[in-house]
Amino acid sequence: MPCSRDWLLNPLGVVQELFAHNGPNLEWEKKVTEYFREKLKENNASKWVPSLNEVPLHYLKPNSLVRFRCMVQDMFDPELYMGVYETVDASSKSRVLHFGKYRDMAECGPRQEVDVNSAQTVTLERQTFYCVPVPGESPWVKEAYASSNQTHVCPSTSYAPSRHKRSYDDMECQPSRHKESCSGNSDGDFHGCGEPKRLETEAPAGQWLMSPNCSPSLDLNFPLPGEKGPACLVKVYENRDNLKVNDVLEVFGVLSVDSVPCATEERENTSPFLDAMDCADSIEEQRVHSPPASLVPRIHVLLIHKLQQINPLIPSSLQEEEKKLFVSGFMLELSSVRAELLGFLTHAFLGDSLAAEYLILHLISTVYARRDVLPLGKFSLNLSGCPRSSHFPHHLYRILQQLVPSSYNLQMTIQNMNTLRFVPRKDYTSNRLLSGLLQLASNTLLQIDETVLEEGQLDTTGVQNVTALGNLITWQKVDYDFRYHQMEFPCNINVLVTSEGRSLLPSDCQVHLKPEILPPNMEEYVSNLLTAVVPSLLNKFRIYLSLVRLLDYSISDEVTKAVEEDFVEMRKNDPQSITADDLHRILVVARLLSLSAGQTTLSRERWLRAKQLESQRKTRLQQQQCVNGNEL
Amino acid sequence: MPPRDYATEKEKCKTFLQEFYRDDEFGKKHFKYGSQLAALAHREQVALYIDLDDVAEEDPELVDCICENTRRYTSLFADAVQELLPEYKQKEVVNKDSLDVYIEHRLMMEQRVHDPNEIRDSKNQYPPELMRRFELYFKAPSSSKSRVIREVKADCIGKLVTIRGIVTRVTEVKPMMVVATYTCDQCGAETYQPIQSPTFMPLMMCPSRECQTNRSGGRLYLQTRGSKFVKFQEIKVQEHSDQVPVGNIPRSMTVFVRGENTRRAQPGDHVSVTGVFLPMLRTGFRQMVQGLLSETYLEAHRIVKMNKTEDDELGTEELSEDELKQITEEDFYEKLAASIAPEIYGHEDVKKGLLLLLVGGVDHSPRGMKIRGNINICLMGDPGVAKSQLLSYIDRLAPRSQYTTGRGSSGVGLTAAVMKDPVTGEMTLEGGALVLADEGICCIDEFDKMMDTDRTAIHEVMEQQTISIAKAGIMTTLNARCSILAAANPAYGRYNPKKTVEQNIQLPAALLSRFDLLWLIQDRPDRDNDLRLAQHITYVHQHSRQPPSQFQALDMKLMRRYISMCKQKQPSIPESLADYLTAAYVEMRKEARTNKDTTYTSARTLLAILRLSTALARLRLVDTVEKEDVNEAMRLMEMSKDSLLGDKGQLTRTQRPVDVIFATVREMAPEKGIRSVKLTEAEQRCISKGFTPAQFEAALEEYEELNVWQVNQARTKITFI
Repeated sequence: MPCSRDWLLNPLGVVQELFAHNGPNLEWEKKVTEYFREKLKENNASKWVPSLNEVPLHYLKPNSLVRFRCMVQDMFDPELYMGVYETVDASSKSRVLHFGKYRDMAECGPRQEVDVNSAQTVTLERQTFYCVPVPGESPWVKEAYASSNQTHVCPSTSYAPSRHKRSYDDMECQPSRHKESCSGNSDGDFHGCGEPKRLETEAPAGQWLMSPNCSPSLDLNFPLPGEKGPACLVKVYENRDNLKVNDVLEVFGVLSVDSVPCATEERENTSPFLDAMDCADSIEEQRVHSPPASLVPRIHVLLIHKLQQINPLIPSSLQEEEKKLFVSGFMLELSSVRAELLGFLTHAFLGDSLAAEYLILHLISTVYARRDVLPLGKFSLNLSGCPRSSHFPHHLYRILQQLVPSSYNLQMTIQNMNTLRFVPRKDYTSNRLLSGLLQLASNTLLQIDETVLEEGQLDTTGVQNVTALGNLITWQKVDYDFRYHQMEFPCNINVLVTSEGRSLLPSDCQVHLKPEILPPNMEEYVSNLLTAVVPSLLNKFRIYLSLVRLLDYSISDEVTKAVEEDFVEMRKNDPQSITADDLHRILVVARLLSLSAGQTTLSRERWLRAKQLESQRKTRLQQQQCVNGNEL
Repeated sequence: MPPRDYATEKEKCKTFLQEFYRDDEFGKKHFKYGSQLAALAHREQVALYIDLDDVAEEDPELVDCICENTRRYTSLFADAVQELLPEYKQKEVVNKDSLDVYIEHRLMMEQRVHDPNEIRDSKNQYPPELMRRFELYFKAPSSSKSRVIREVKADCIGKLVTIRGIVTRVTEVKPMMVVATYTCDQCGAETYQPIQSPTFMPLMMCPSRECQTNRSGGRLYLQTRGSKFVKFQEIKVQEHSDQVPVGNIPRSMTVFVRGENTRRAQPGDHVSVTGVFLPMLRTGFRQMVQGLLSETYLEAHRIVKMNKTEDDELGTEELSEDELKQITEEDFYEKLAASIAPEIYGHEDVKKGLLLLLVGGVDHSPRGMKIRGNINICLMGDPGVAKSQLLSYIDRLAPRSQYTTGRGSSGVGLTAAVMKDPVTGEMTLEGGALVLADEGICCIDEFDKMMDTDRTAIHEVMEQQTISIAKAGIMTTLNARCSILAAANPAYGRYNPKKTVEQNIQLPAALLSRFDLLWLIQDRPDRDNDLRLAQHITYVHQHSRQPPSQFQALDMKLMRRYISMCKQKQPSIPESLADYLTAAYVEMRKEARTNKDTTYTSARTLLAILRLSTALARLRLVDTVEKEDVNEAMRLMEMSKDSLLGDKGQLTRTQRPVDVIFATVREMAPEKGIRSVKLTEAEQRCISKGFTPAQFEAALEEYEELNVWQVNQARTKITFI
């Protein structure tokens, strides 16, 4: 059997061996998957695999095993390839069988030729997914992943682990400096690589690290503006059907940088006259579907995991046992962490504990089921009464970014609304899905800052964008624009709207902020607040918010009865103020309250507490309305 | 399996083409393909479609072979036709184009120059493709189902498949070379090269014997005049949105279209394409580098453009037995109604009304007068009672609909705008929401917020179903045969039952009377209802699904198909029901006269009842209206009126019948002078309002005791004190 290093550096060799052993029947495919699954299970072996998220492409050896944490942005049409093919040597006429899986190009010696008509050829199907790094991933998540990779000694020689840190720095530093460091490194690095020429041509191209800097002709199609990181063409062989758009994946596969020559280049070589059918559109399509491999590398998938969450502090779903231990261990200190978090957020909200309480509920909310079209469990929050002068929403986002794994702060200015693309749109010329702002992975926090909104004119795009936001909040779905029709894509995005008065966007729940202190310098206040938190505690907050969301929850029959009775009673007393929507909301609040305390069933006390919270919130809203009324 | 003997297969094709016939209505044999062959021979027809259903009648086995190996059989059939054509040729055809002349010349030359017995080099022979002036296509057997694009996989290669989808891209029609003809600059010999792949390597050296033996190295030059081209178009078809699993991106497929099939589709069309699924053959360099990959395409045999609605609702066939059974159960009316917006709890009668709106009544046009069949409904109610949700559900369910809001649409936006073309300066008409919703449903939210001037535009639409334009020199009438579904909020935030409908919604009576049904959806506390509501909601939260006791809501697609089926019916009202209807109408008028604060009861009400009852009959898929339909229609009318009124009793808190009777009588009394009312009149009024004579008596007594009024000795007059 191949030694441990081989499967990292030369996975194709391993595949070749298994292929040779198990003959041309399709048995070998299973063996390959099994082999790699076993290998990666071994004590944290997956950490040894270099990740495309952290290591720049040019540090990686082609055809080595890599991993990539990404979101599926687009799915291309499936392609047929030769799973098994035969080559014929031109001189000796000897025939050799090869496998075509996990490759872009046929492996064929200089004097060999692929026999297209061979009876041994097996045609198989695979699908290409266009994947981008998880949009809005917080810096601390990236950092944590990078450092977890670093702690293990990498057994490879051609990319020393010490370089990981540097490569990470590259991502952070200025474009100009980055370029220097790239070219500086490149001289020494690529002697072992066997393909030094590739680098020379790429280095000036600006690299994928800086997508804004990258040649403007190729848009890497990130959902959020200003994103960086590699985009990948992920070629999936097995279990393609249960992957969906916007799924977050961890992919282990063979990195391939063999570029299939672009159709345009080839066209120039042959006389255009002879091309019996020449299609201008397909050039554009070709360009987008097979971009230069140096910009968009290909990964041939060996193993794929769907990630429920991307918090690096929680063990991924790989090791079930370990996870259970982890959860039960954390449960013990859950209540204290919650109290600490509440205190922290209260400070963040300038002393408003009710708003902090609601924010916790909001942060752990997730759509757990859909009944017909109605999503259950969503809890979008409208935080009104934000002091405008001190850029409060901006500072709030700084804090939230430290807590959640992925987030985005949308400045809801007239200009942004009119110019940004919110809803993904299918471009039929290039046959791809142009990404939009609302193409986000599950459980991403979308903070919409309405305080920056000024009076002005919304144009058609603006109106459509506002509608899209409204749909997102109410139904948790985004209607992707396919020009001839729209397609509904369910999503699960936590929307937090910060506004001065009531937001013009719908929301499940409006909390009016009541600051008790007003620090003269907000910037300093927040910075102090953030530095005051011990990193270990901050990590606990992060674990808390991600973990609580994953808990199961149920309501017993007795409590259900009590709740029903209660509702009827409330209606009797004050029919105007309690409606079905209120019941829905209180049930959601009660659910989130229970979960936030680590309880997985609804108790009578929680129900009462939820009602109490709601009534507190409502009185505050009414007070606010009165104040406003008096002012007028 | 022994290899097929294609020569015998070809014979089979021949006999089929020659011998297949249908008996026409006179009992004569009609040779379906024979006559077409004659047309082909005389160049009156280009494309020959072979219906595989016909082939199946003769030889079912052959059909399977054709479907499995379509390309081969296409050429077999084409060869067969080619050989048969001379037999069918009855007269000489006039040459039509240069290629004809060209071929004719070659044929004459051949006869003159060459010895017929001389064996010729294959390359110098006329390839059959060059001479062939017809196109041959297959029509898939009706038994084969059309596939979803994502199901067309590698195992379909070479087979005849039918896919459905939406055209997203078409290229221009271009000539594609089928046979390249070259002439040699040395010997003048002509060489032909049939081309099958998208690219080809041109011949350079003259292969004729003359040049070969002389070693003169004659160069070949391509003769465009002598080459044969066909029309070629590439289109891209993408899956329908309903064929895509949730969370997936629709897939697409490239379709190559040749000859007569070109220009059949435009981007955005819904098409069904029958064709052969083939891998794209690459030659030379590209084959080398692409090695592992092969692109695929569908070579189109038949393209049928489908109507979106037709395709969606009727699908492949009529409703199947199962589906019909699912619908036409005992309580299908309730079930259908409840399937409208199942996420909204309750409001059964409102939903029934909406169901009838979807189905629509029957249009009448006696002697040029047009009476609309479309049903208009107005939903009113307190904020937050799911009016907009109902509207948006109907908007989604209806095959053709427009959704606007009153504020968002001006009168021009609703009806039609006259625009001046900036380039030509011509005046053009652009339809507004109501015009676009022709033969559909126009949902207007926030109806009350509409400007008065805009609202007038709707008057005409709601009764005449047309829009008249007289602007900027354009005078015309546009059709707007749409049902209007409006939602309105009460004027003062909440519905005030003490005021009339007009006051509450601030809509003129003229407009309100145009609505067949007015629903007031109110949020009223009621123990039983509240409990049921609470149970419903808690159940959903507890189990995150619909309570089991509830029926399964019908699928939206099924609903659509059923409704379109209903719409095909044109039920009439039998004579026997006329009397019943008139009697009912007279009764309602009478009631309206005594009860002044309801909506108007006018001739429009009668028409509304007729519309509702025909819609009900349609829903039952019958051709005549029955008494039950009329009763149900009247019940709905009644319920809709009740929803406007019913609240009265509730708000004035347990008004005893006695009090109501008192109020009624007091209203009858004149304002000035002696305030007295005739007792018989008062009694009649109260009874017409649904009170018993006993209750009336009780009220009389009770208020007499209170000294509010006095009844004279003869008991003929009530006088207020």
